[in-house]
Amino acid sequence: MIELLAPAGNLERLKIAYLYGADAVYIGGYNYSLRANAINFSSEELKEAVMFAHNLNKKLYVTVNIVLHNKEIPGLVNYLKELANIGVDAVIVSDIAVINAIRKNKINLEIHLSTQASTLNYEAALFYKKLGVKRIVLAREASREDIKVIKEKTGLDLEAFIQGAMCTSFSGKCVLSNVTTNRDSNRGGCAQICRWTFKINDEDEIFSMTPKDLNMARYIEDMVNIGINSFKVEGRMRSVYYIATVIYEYRKLIDKMLSSTLKESDILYSNDIINRCANRESTAQFYTGLPTYKEQYFLGREEISNQDFLGIVLKQEKNKVLIEERNYFKVGDEVEFFGPNMAPLSFKINKIYNEDMEEIEVARHPRMQVYLEIDEALPEGAMMRLKVFDKNTYL
Amino acid sequence: MKKNKIILLVQSEDLIQKLKEESNITFLFPIKGFSVGFPKTFDIEEIKENAFIFVNRIMDNQAILEFKKLLDKLPKNIKGIVFDDLGVLNVLMNTPNNLVKILYLNHLNCNYESINAYLEFVDSVVVSTDITFEEIDEILKKAIKPVVLYTFGYVNIMYSRRTLITNYNDYYKKKVANLASLEDTITSHKFKIIEDPYGTVIYTSKPFNALNLRKKDNVLYNLINTVFLTDEEVLNILNNPLDLEDLYPYKYLSEKPTIVKIKEEEK
Repeated sequence: MIELLAPAGNLERLKIAYLYGADAVYIGGYNYSLRANAINFSSEELKEAVMFAHNLNKKLYVTVNIVLHNKEIPGLVNYLKELANIGVDAVIVSDIAVINAIRKNKINLEIHLSTQASTLNYEAALFYKKLGVKRIVLAREASREDIKVIKEKTGLDLEAFIQGAMCTSFSGKCVLSNVTTNRDSNRGGCAQICRWTFKINDEDEIFSMTPKDLNMARYIEDMVNIGINSFKVEGRMRSVYYIATVIYEYRKLIDKMLSSTLKESDILYSNDIINRCANRESTAQFYTGLPTYKEQYFLGREEISNQDFLGIVLKQEKNKVLIEERNYFKVGDEVEFFGPNMAPLSFKINKIYNEDMEEIEVARHPRMQVYLEIDEALPEGAMMRLKVFDKNTYL
Repeated sequence: MKKNKIILLVQSEDLIQKLKEESNITFLFPIKGFSVGFPKTFDIEEIKENAFIFVNRIMDNQAILEFKKLLDKLPKNIKGIVFDDLGVLNVLMNTPNNLVKILYLNHLNCNYESINAYLEFVDSVVVSTDITFEEIDEILKKAIKPVVLYTFGYVNIMYSRRTLITNYNDYYKKKVANLASLEDTITSHKFKIIEDPYGTVIYTSKPFNALNLRKKDNVLYNLINTVFLTDEEVLNILNNPLDLEDLYPYKYLSEKPTIVKIKEEEK
């Protein structure tokens, strides 16, 4: 089983993630979840999310991955029972109190061990296996060799991050946020102090510990070969455009890998698309060795924001496509559509119509609805972006 | 007056000599290759006293193999082990030994249910430093075995596998030593940072004073971490029945609950 696992901070992003190719989505429930400042899901939304996933024959995992304090213990069992009743496919946990609550109360929930537990060796994995854990979300510090050995010695399902932001610290081993801002990093309040800048001794140059992002597009096939089952994208607080873009690209890479048609040009092209969407540089981080200064930022975050995301397809009637605008575009722009079950479609905008079907030159207001004339079929939810990369130049 | 036993995480050989007749004190040695965040670590052969070893490194598979070798050659004067990685626990559970096993999952044992769950596998657990005194009291009431309380010392507040000082030196062609001071440029919080081949640790800039915990019940040991402290400071702390709050006022996170959601802060 090879699984592409997407994050979602709300129902809209969850639906986009599935439609763009995720096999499973992980979300935070209304309680006990890190990323406390993501929107997260109410009980009713959890039910809708499960129904949506299962109708597509896909899976939904719920994070219950905070480090619990005493006051959070009393409601825990009822919450877990509710998740089981709703029908979530697994919970992602880090605190042994949650594992014990599931075991001792015989709650029908599959347990995945969160990356917060920083599992880097097979003996730790075996300990958790004895506790009933079915899957280990590996520490982001796991090297290729570590992963291979853990798989060989445990036979457990292994999940690894393939895309997204990195913590500087071992997950769970950092309370800089608690000390500096009183926001609890292990209970969802992390203020990302590791992305701040520091003065070290009396040196003039700023000290930084900010890591570049993780990007494993090049290593997907190798990761399958050493036993990774689930490929996880980080970012429950990311936008719909980010989720759609990243999941779409990794879906293509995985499918091509599985059909033995993956080419170097596919990897290079997808990498450029993903990196531009993420606005950050990315590397394989620990997979190929201990990161050096090259895997960090030293001069601020060096991010270049863009307005590539132009709009979403709301519907199509014959050759009239209704677009909800996200960023400014105009007649003459070279754009690209991508969406569920479609290959990217390049298109030069020759006419734009407003809702009264009057011709206009520019779509300048976010959320305004405009029509374009396009002969090809476009699915609802397809996204329109500025065309920056041309696949033909990679061949 | 009630006097709990002390487990002293040591750095100074002179201090060990001065304290070795104290029956109330157990020495805890950070071990070379298996401990991170210490200016001084010890080879197992250097330890002559009855003592515990401190293994706080997050282990990869290779480190686990090395740990198994260490366990095989562990001399009889090593009576116990304080460790962070659950792989170490699994090895200890599957290897015949008489060691006292104390789990120190830094930052993660914050509630009585977790602590009691681990107490089914180990002799004791170090309670997290990241909770309030009130929360500690509830844990002490509910723990099924005596626990260990971090009672004095600088607190390890970040542990990265990255060699952050080396990376800084390589990028800027600098020669900053592996122990340095840090100050963030936004809030001016100060920290200590130390690097070794197994990663980088950031500590608070002041020692956490929880000497008031010395009088609590259901405590196996009060842990005093001597890293960055002088011998005189340690002796003063050990010999003084007072809580020394004038000298060491820093209470870390023990008096004010942390915020989970930003909305809570706004209320």
